[in-house]
Amino acid sequence: MALLARAAVPLALLALAVASRADQPLHARIDALIAAKADGRPTAAPAADAEFLRRAYLDLAGRIPSVQEARDFLADPAPDKRAKVIDRLLDSPDYPRRMQELFHVMLMERLGDHPEWTRYLQKSFEANKPWDQMAREILNPITEDESLQGAAFFYTKRLENFGQNPVDYPGLTRDVGRLFLGKDLRCAECHDHIFIAEYKQEDFQGLFAIYRNTVLVDPKKPAVGEQLMTKKLEYSSVFRKVPKSTGPRIPGGKEIEIPVLKKGEEYVKPPDRKTRFPGIPRFSPLAELAKQLPTASNPAFSRNIVNRLWFILMGRGLVHPLDLHHAENPPSHPELLDLLAKEFVEHRFDIKWLLRELALSQTYQRSSVLPEGVKELPPESFLVANEKRLSAEQLLASMLEATGMRERVLGNKGTAEAARAKFVKAFANPEREPEEEFNPSLKAALFVLNDDLVLSWLTPQPGNLIDRLSKLEDSQVAEELYLSVLTRRPTVEEQAEVADYLHKNASRRAVALGHLAWALLASTEFCVNH
Amino acid sequence: MSDDPKALLQRYQPKEVKVLKTDRQMAILRFSPCGNFLAAGGCDATVRRWDVSNAEMAELPPLTGHGGWVQALAFSPPPLTLLPQAGERGGSSSPSPPEGERGRGEGRLFTADSWGRLTCWPYAEKEAQPLWSVEQAHDGWVRGLAVSPDGKLLATCGMDQKVRLWSADDGAKKQELAGHNEDIYAVAFHPDGKSLVSGDLKGVIQVWDLESGKVVRRFDAKQLYLLSRLQDVGGVRCLAFDAKGETLAAAGTKPKVGANVQGVPTILFFDWSSGQVKHTLSIGNDGDGYIFDLHLHPAGFVMAVTSGNPGVGKLFFQRPADPQPFFLYTKMANCHSLAVHPNGQRLAVSATNANSNGNGRQIGKGTEYPGNYSPIHVFDLPTAG
Amino acid sequence: MNFEYLCRPLEHRMSRRQWLGGVAGAAVGALGLGGLAQPAVAQELKKKHRQVLFIWLDGGISQLESWDPKPNTQFGGPFRAIPTSVPGIHISELLPKTARQMHHLALVRSLCTKDNSHSAGVARIQRGDPKNRGVTYPYFGSAVAKLLGPGDSGLPPYVWVKPGSGGFVYQDAGFLGPRYGAVAFGDGKPPENLLLNPALTEADDEARNALRMKLDRRYAERRRKEWTEANSYVFDMAAQLRKQARLFDPSTLPPRDVERYGTHEFGRHMLLARRLLEAGVTFVKVNSYGWDTHGDNFNGHLSMVPKVDQAFAAMIEDLKDRGMLDNVLVIMMSEFGRTPRINGHVGRDHWPEAWSLVMAGCGLKRGVVVGKTNERGTHVTTEEHDIGHMFHTWFQALGINPKEHSYDNGGQPLPIAHEDCHAVTELLA
Repeated sequence: MALLARAAVPLALLALAVASRADQPLHARIDALIAAKADGRPTAAPAADAEFLRRAYLDLAGRIPSVQEARDFLADPAPDKRAKVIDRLLDSPDYPRRMQELFHVMLMERLGDHPEWTRYLQKSFEANKPWDQMAREILNPITEDESLQGAAFFYTKRLENFGQNPVDYPGLTRDVGRLFLGKDLRCAECHDHIFIAEYKQEDFQGLFAIYRNTVLVDPKKPAVGEQLMTKKLEYSSVFRKVPKSTGPRIPGGKEIEIPVLKKGEEYVKPPDRKTRFPGIPRFSPLAELAKQLPTASNPAFSRNIVNRLWFILMGRGLVHPLDLHHAENPPSHPELLDLLAKEFVEHRFDIKWLLRELALSQTYQRSSVLPEGVKELPPESFLVANEKRLSAEQLLASMLEATGMRERVLGNKGTAEAARAKFVKAFANPEREPEEEFNPSLKAALFVLNDDLVLSWLTPQPGNLIDRLSKLEDSQVAEELYLSVLTRRPTVEEQAEVADYLHKNASRRAVALGHLAWALLASTEFCVNH
Repeated sequence: MSDDPKALLQRYQPKEVKVLKTDRQMAILRFSPCGNFLAAGGCDATVRRWDVSNAEMAELPPLTGHGGWVQALAFSPPPLTLLPQAGERGGSSSPSPPEGERGRGEGRLFTADSWGRLTCWPYAEKEAQPLWSVEQAHDGWVRGLAVSPDGKLLATCGMDQKVRLWSADDGAKKQELAGHNEDIYAVAFHPDGKSLVSGDLKGVIQVWDLESGKVVRRFDAKQLYLLSRLQDVGGVRCLAFDAKGETLAAAGTKPKVGANVQGVPTILFFDWSSGQVKHTLSIGNDGDGYIFDLHLHPAGFVMAVTSGNPGVGKLFFQRPADPQPFFLYTKMANCHSLAVHPNGQRLAVSATNANSNGNGRQIGKGTEYPGNYSPIHVFDLPTAG
Repeated sequence: MNFEYLCRPLEHRMSRRQWLGGVAGAAVGALGLGGLAQPAVAQELKKKHRQVLFIWLDGGISQLESWDPKPNTQFGGPFRAIPTSVPGIHISELLPKTARQMHHLALVRSLCTKDNSHSAGVARIQRGDPKNRGVTYPYFGSAVAKLLGPGDSGLPPYVWVKPGSGGFVYQDAGFLGPRYGAVAFGDGKPPENLLLNPALTEADDEARNALRMKLDRRYAERRRKEWTEANSYVFDMAAQLRKQARLFDPSTLPPRDVERYGTHEFGRHMLLARRLLEAGVTFVKVNSYGWDTHGDNFNGHLSMVPKVDQAFAAMIEDLKDRGMLDNVLVIMMSEFGRTPRINGHVGRDHWPEAWSLVMAGCGLKRGVVVGKTNERGTHVTTEEHDIGHMFHTWFQALGINPKEHSYDNGGQPLPIAHEDCHAVTELLA
């Protein structure tokens, strides 16, 4: 391992001189492009094996490695063990679950949950469905196909009205722009964006015309319908009250003509008042949208997703914030974003492929520890690994792994659901708040400090962490504890600290072990992905 | 009498004959014992009167001098000799009580308002002036007023949690009955004249022995009450005995929620001797609100009016044990009072104009912000026996 | 066209993180340490330690049954008006105790606002009904938390005592971000998990946290410090708040106070509010629900207003006795008043056209009435005051000049109060 780390530094230096070349694998070209913009600044050392392993597990499996997985990896002398573990994780059942959780949080922003939606995402990632296909399924949900039904939840949750508030069509329009195109058209709702020249009111309104026309079909299952669209949407700018109109149109695209259909021919399936079926119109703006938006010819579509996947592994978007792609907010590494988008399209929108390439890069595998004597490196330089927020789901899975409670809690549907609900309540952002930044909160601290749930995991139960530790000699405890919780070996100082604490509390060793384990779980080192 | 509801309906079905117009909301309505007058207590500190001895039913000048709302109103009972006979439509002779019948008759009307004033009027006089008036009969809202069967005593109750007894003759305070811990909504004398009942906000009905001034029994009408957040909701809104004094009806609503009060109009029929609820009559749904007024008919059914959500109101006749009314009329909005003519062949209901509610400024025809008012619906009942 | 306050989220052009100056800014703000743009002003305000008690009667108390009675008029209702401790000022008979505190109070009878629905009204009124700029404005509590900061109490700056459930109500904060939301004490109870888990002793807690802090120090040595600082801060905050746990223990209340404030929900919550103010919380909101008296309005008010009267008068008395009235701004209001017209359900509906509120304390004149309605109480006959005027007045009373201070929404300057309104000078001391 040490050998490999040493080898990596000169490689990076070499990349400075060598421009990214098409015959190189993508991960190498990434490193070259990052290095090209280092501007002589120091670069963090490659992550140590332990640091890499924890990060890769959290990113690709959504949990920390078990103590055994950590031991095995650290003991493995193979020079290509990092690539191997990346491949193993991408092929493990943890990967689709992690992706399901990740895309759920990204696309739903904690608005709500639905078993069909979970199933849809899970199945899609199990099959490694191309992103353009997923986007089509979400943007034009086919209610008839049961296996795809859950995809409609992205719309149906947003088409619910809560309390006395009307359905938030502008919000749905915005979310489609933000999440699928990386463009927050909020300020273009009422007028052309004042400071983002390329965000036009017609961009918002063209998309809005499509969504203003959608309806909830069935309150019980995710299903979205469309009304008959016969005329354009009228609007005017709050500045210049000139009346304008638009038909459906994706931002930057051409207006879609609304066909004039003969009476009686407007519907593929006519509405039925008795069953409250809204009918299926022959002209479907959603179908048109699905044809035009998630395509190779729409650069915003691919740039958005590669930027988001980059953010997921690198802790910051090349374009940041993620939903403000426009000329005046350029990517930190424009060529790199172009490259990622192009390669992604060429690889048929294969998410797993791109994640693998990103994870193989030295940029990903850098340490989050700043180089000696360096106080600060800008996050957008990617010269030091950016720390990343852990989601409620990652925290739950990791705490269960760390405390050796995984089987016991997840083995029972009731306890698993209850634990998940508690973690989401404690650690998730409020609805509609993207979970992109580290946001420690009082409620989360109070949860970690005093809630029975986590504290109960820190009492001895057959086979759990505390039980295992309680069977060890004082001198062996620190290593097992640190490897189990923080996926690294303790320092000499830390070993002494553990031994000292156990010595002082010799008369109540199990309790003391609980305190030591709690301190690790509550530490910043545990609760961020570094 | 037949048990058949159809027969009952045939015999008692009211027919609307006239609507008396008012320009304000009216809280209570009663016919004079002589049958010639109808009086209403207004939410404008006035008492309205109509001469109902003929079909024209002309309005007399209002009685003024009250404050706030006049929600309690009662006539002195007629002299025994002048009780109208069945079939007689509004006697025409002016009532004058024989010797030894002091307290009865004399054409007196007692009214009380929400500011605490109790006043006695010679109601038949066109420009009636008070015979006497007690400015602070209660501290604040006088909710209920009843005249003893012999006409000598008045009982009043109100938001000051007191029941007081007054000489009908001169308004002298006779007695104060303390013992409720809540706003008292209603009082009624037992027909035997020996006891008085009073009912409060929390559904406590106290039976007072008039001789000793003590509470001798308590009836439980707590189902007419609910604490909703900060608000005490409901209360015993009306109390009435049947003519024989065997049954006491206590009514209001079974509250579901406060603020925009919702509840099911409900009447509890207590067996006077045991103090137990014999029958519970609930009509309609949560939005139908309160039973606001009722009358126990000698034929064994109750006549009552309800008012709930704006626009909702019922007039119904029902026997306590029956599952539903044999007569139900829902064409009037928000009925607040029901008066039965002494001859039993006429009744009047104080209702509310349509579209009485709405948030914000109403855009009317004029620029004036409109108020609501109470149309008074007069019904005649079949005369045949 | 003046673009100064239009949609101008500069954050949209650049990284939000850049604008916030790193995560620490966000994280420290999460606990309400956000300060004013000008530190000097913040210092000045801190010295005076200004506070707000905001009492919200949700659903709409009737002005006619409270602060602007119109006895013996068409819409006046059944109740009397009574004299107060200030000659010439009369209020409803349902407020006898408050009437005796009138010389400390300021009444506004000239409110004329826009919304007559609750869904719009509650939020619009508490946000000060600013012009629509595509951003969601903070509620007054979040605004004050942001502008005045938390003080030295160690308690959250914006605390909400309310019936029902508690929690962290981020929605109030609008564009200021969830960190300026309210910490809600549902039914006066402390936030979930505040109290030390019974399985632990104080010594245990101290020991485990000492271990945690050592780990954090080591982790931060060679990394960006902000993440650890932010994470440590929430733990410190939790510890601070737990020290104040006695505030939530009813057994520590003097029985006489319990009786004076009332044993009903509102009385209990107001007494807790007094203790929170005494403990130094910057903004305390107390909610009472159930004022939407579309039916049985008069009996409803007869039941509820005296309870409010009792606790409100006791609060004013206590703040005065403790010398706190000079520094605490007290406001009691709803989202609108109620219709003069009495509907068939003997209720009153929503009426934003002419209504009233009461306030007292910090920066205000005492024993005054501002504004007047016509004889029937239907409309304001003096200058109409929108909620924007009240926001200006309140900020001024707290020593914050809305003309000089604005929010910085990631580079977008936003006025703290509606720029078409102004402070009501007759109210300001």
